Amino acid sequence: MDNQTISARQYMFLVVFFIIGSSILIVPTPLAAQAKQDAWMSVILAILFGVIFVMFLNKIGSLSSGKTFVQSAIYVFGNWAGRLFCIFYLSFLYILASLVLRNIGDFMTTQIIPETPLQFTHILFLLVVIGGAYIGVESIARSSEIFMPWMILLLIFLTISIMPQINMDQLKPVLGNGVIPIISNSSIVIGTPLLEMVALLMIFPYVKEEKKAKRAWILGTVFGGGVLFLITILCLLVLGSDLTALNAYPTYRIAQKINIAGFLEGLEIIIAVIWMLTIFFKLIILYYATSVGIAQFFTLKDHRPLLLPLGMGMVVLSIIAYPDVAYFETFVGETWLPYSLTHGLILPAILMIGLLVKRRMSRN
Amino acid sequence: MKLYNFPFRKPLFIFICLLLLTGCWNSRELDELGIVVMLGIDKTEESEYILTVQVINPSEIATDAPTTRPPVSTFSTTGRTLFEAFRRLTTKSPRKNYLSQLRLVVLGTAVAEEGVMPVLDLLYRDHEFRTSFFVTVAKNAPVESMLSIITPYEKIPANKIMNSIESVERNWAATKGVSIDKVISSIRNPGEDPVMSGITLLGEEDTGTNINNVENVDSPTKLEIDELGVFKGDKLAGWLNENESRGLNFATGNVHSTVITHPCEDEGTLSVELLRTSAKMKGKIESDQPVIDIKVEGEGNVAEVDCKIDLSKPDAIEKINKHVEEAITESIQATLAKAQKEYGSDIFGFGGVIHRDQPKYWKKVEKEWSSYYQDVEVNIDANVKIRRKGNSTQPINKES
Repeated sequence: MDNQTISARQYMFLVVFFIIGSSILIVPTPLAAQAKQDAWMSVILAILFGVIFVMFLNKIGSLSSGKTFVQSAIYVFGNWAGRLFCIFYLSFLYILASLVLRNIGDFMTTQIIPETPLQFTHILFLLVVIGGAYIGVESIARSSEIFMPWMILLLIFLTISIMPQINMDQLKPVLGNGVIPIISNSSIVIGTPLLEMVALLMIFPYVKEEKKAKRAWILGTVFGGGVLFLITILCLLVLGSDLTALNAYPTYRIAQKINIAGFLEGLEIIIAVIWMLTIFFKLIILYYATSVGIAQFFTLKDHRPLLLPLGMGMVVLSIIAYPDVAYFETFVGETWLPYSLTHGLILPAILMIGLLVKRRMSRN
Repeated sequence: MKLYNFPFRKPLFIFICLLLLTGCWNSRELDELGIVVMLGIDKTEESEYILTVQVINPSEIATDAPTTRPPVSTFSTTGRTLFEAFRRLTTKSPRKNYLSQLRLVVLGTAVAEEGVMPVLDLLYRDHEFRTSFFVTVAKNAPVESMLSIITPYEKIPANKIMNSIESVERNWAATKGVSIDKVISSIRNPGEDPVMSGITLLGEEDTGTNINNVENVDSPTKLEIDELGVFKGDKLAGWLNENESRGLNFATGNVHSTVITHPCEDEGTLSVELLRTSAKMKGKIESDQPVIDIKVEGEGNVAEVDCKIDLSKPDAIEKINKHVEEAITESIQATLAKAQKEYGSDIFGFGGVIHRDQPKYWKKVEKEWSSYYQDVEVNIDANVKIRRKGNSTQPINKES
């Protein structure tokens, strides 16, 4: 593999984008549906979990000493068992990537370009992603530095311009339904962006200084989670928990409600740039991780020849992944958490145990 | 490795151009859009929807030399669902309707009395609708004729009504512009019921639909905003008059500015301009019955005096304060009498207040809140401060 390196700060930005991407669209609705006006507390709980989870991933990262997830799995479990192990991991990344692609496609076809076939939105989006994955992780990381200020500016703009419509009463009664729904619903946030961060173990070895990288990962998680918190609480404050749960894309709905001095309105599409950007980065990280992972799986020297065929597969997979939106909603609600738990938590846990055993054996 | 080393870059480049340079897939240019500004919905006796749209005539709006053509046109059709009716409209209108610029929805009394929820679904689900339009009820005329009235001063009738609602709300406080998400959330919330502005047609329908209507200095047919329609759930239950509408706005803290007039002690009247008010509602439980405390604070000026009163004395101002406080309390009580006793509709959102302040009690009564609501005890505490009295120190008819 090529000797590309990224800085700790760039890595932090990638983590932030990774957490916000696609969750910004799909998290507030189920959260508000179940935890009602206390949904924002679930996000805070989930961030706390996220920090612990990242410490765990950091541990794996330092144990595997410069190897990616796939490389260290093969190193620990041997050629055959290790590769079997990797098939699970890589298929998880690949399926996740196509779901993320479908998220943005669904959003575009529902809200903006309803008559354009899904395939074309997907192909256009993927072409840019393939271009990015082709030129490598360094350029991806550098472009994240360019786009981060834009995202922050747009978020600040959204928050300030929606301020007049905020109604603090929407958050009352605090803890009206007790603590249990808050705890159980933090699993929504845990399942959707946090456990998926296991994909970042494919990027982690590229970061220059390991110590700084660990801190960057935790900071990125807190910052990204903070943005999710901001979006959720804005939806609750502006729309109330009932309408947040009723809307498929409540974030877009609050952007539609921006009305500055009676004439500056209809800005939702500018705000939508936030999720276009974040989903782009999430997708490109997943795509890059998958292709590099597959290249390492087959011990290829270069991951680039894989990019186009993988993309063709992904366009098809993203279309057939689920037949309709209702299916996706139940999928996210019921299937995704167990799936991401097995692949995002149990798989790396097994790897960590393997790494610890292997280290002890080599010491003796 | 750089991008220019990409294999097949020339064919790929041409291929991308093919994709990107064809233009937008569903591009719709301005000259293909029928820009809908007002939407009228009613029901026929066969319970089909009648949909009426008011579309801008762009050539009339954006021209230096207006002709005698009207600035807007209306088209009307029926359908079993609203969406069906929208698409059937293409048989009458030359362009497909574009709904993002919608300003106003006018519901007919038939729809309002039968329940508005089925109508609102499309307006909230379809991606072309923004949420910034107002929902109103046509009070005394069929929806089709409401939409066909040509209004003086504002070329586009929808804008005239929207601006009227906004300026009445801001300066007179006798109505309330309600957007669709507010309507939907108050219908869905068991502790709240919606209100909507009513539109009244003054004059003859026939003269109003003709462009001649605006060729008179005093147009014979006009549209007026007054009275608030009170809903119970999603069904129209009745109307609040001007005073009661103001009472509702006082209680919910929605009064920006208004005028309060009261008779003087000996003879004549005195008007006060209220500049700022705020209101707080608190819910408490007394002997297992919900009690609501409404606290209204206001600040204002003496605006017009037509009686013998010595305005230089603090006592006089204090008296005026008392009168204004009484007037506010009375109008809130009038609203309460109607909403609570007559219509049984929780337009104040008392249920929501109890939910916020007494969540445990609310859990018990949530299911049968409407029966509890009628017996809610309400304490009103108004507190008004008159600060200034304008340019004159005394009434001009006072001999000093």
